[in-house]
Amino acid sequence: MKVKSTGLSKVEIPMAPMIDIVFQLLIFFMLNLRIIAPEGNFNINLPISAPANAQTDVNLPAIKVALRSDRDGILTQLMIGTTNLGNDDGAFDRLNHEILKIIGKPGNPMTSEIEVELDADYECQYRYTVKAISRCTGRMDPQTQQVARYVEKIKFAPPHKPKG
Amino acid sequence: MKVRKIEMGFTEPDMTPMIDIVFQLLTFFMIAINFENTKADERVRLPKDMLAKPPEVKPEHELVLNFGYERDLSGNKKANVPTVFYNERYVEVGNLTPDLEQEKRIMESLHGKDVIDKVTVLIRADSEVPTGLVQQLIKKCQDNGFSKFSLRATAEEK
Repeated sequence: MKVKSTGLSKVEIPMAPMIDIVFQLLIFFMLNLRIIAPEGNFNINLPISAPANAQTDVNLPAIKVALRSDRDGILTQLMIGTTNLGNDDGAFDRLNHEILKIIGKPGNPMTSEIEVELDADYECQYRYTVKAISRCTGRMDPQTQQVARYVEKIKFAPPHKPKG
Repeated sequence: MKVRKIEMGFTEPDMTPMIDIVFQLLTFFMIAINFENTKADERVRLPKDMLAKPPEVKPEHELVLNFGYERDLSGNKKANVPTVFYNERYVEVGNLTPDLEQEKRIMESLHGKDVIDKVTVLIRADSEVPTGLVQQLIKKCQDNGFSKFSLRATAEEK
């Protein structure tokens, strides 16, 4: 019986289907990619409707920060206690400085007890409120890029009525 | 004069570099893609802040409320009253109670009656929304049993 000897021949793998699948995957991932800017949270402590006497274990008075605005919601006055900090871009930096003066230094144990009460006008634009919360919460060290925490507890004062 | 005849043959282009580039692109998109359903509505223009860093520990249960203005293609507001973007609808804060009750029912049916105390309401509000309305939204959520709140902002690079 004669056995035909088959010589070793190179087997070519067809690459076209693989390239097709790779292109399909590429199109899928390209269409599903969503580029979203990173977002962060500012936690609010204490519900608005909670009565003031529910805070029996806090001995330190709340730091009152007031935001006053015009009818369009543009900030006209930023105050801490009775001190007027102005309404320019530096007003919030001054707020940050005042908060630091009150707590002494970042990481002070009293920062876990002390509260900031935000009292904003009804029309005041939300971005000013977030800025105020941020400046009360802490400060970014420009050299180390670490966040120095100031006050941890932020709450809202009862809401004002609209200016009409 | 003898003219040599040049035979036109089919030249196969080398596909290897193209396949390499395609694989590079595929790898990039596979790494960059994020399938997490952040419920981040792009219509809401969040305020920017340097301290707004992504939380290290994500809340176990969260309810995301996108609160902003309906805008046209050029970015101008269509109405002066901001609304909550909920399930493809524009719901004013005063009319949000049925939707919040529904959310509460769904969460309780999925995770038990006690879950409502652990749910964090993430408020993604447009930077131009009046603070009073944000407070009203918080109050509405409180009236429906939610007690933990977080305000969202975009990380600002300086």
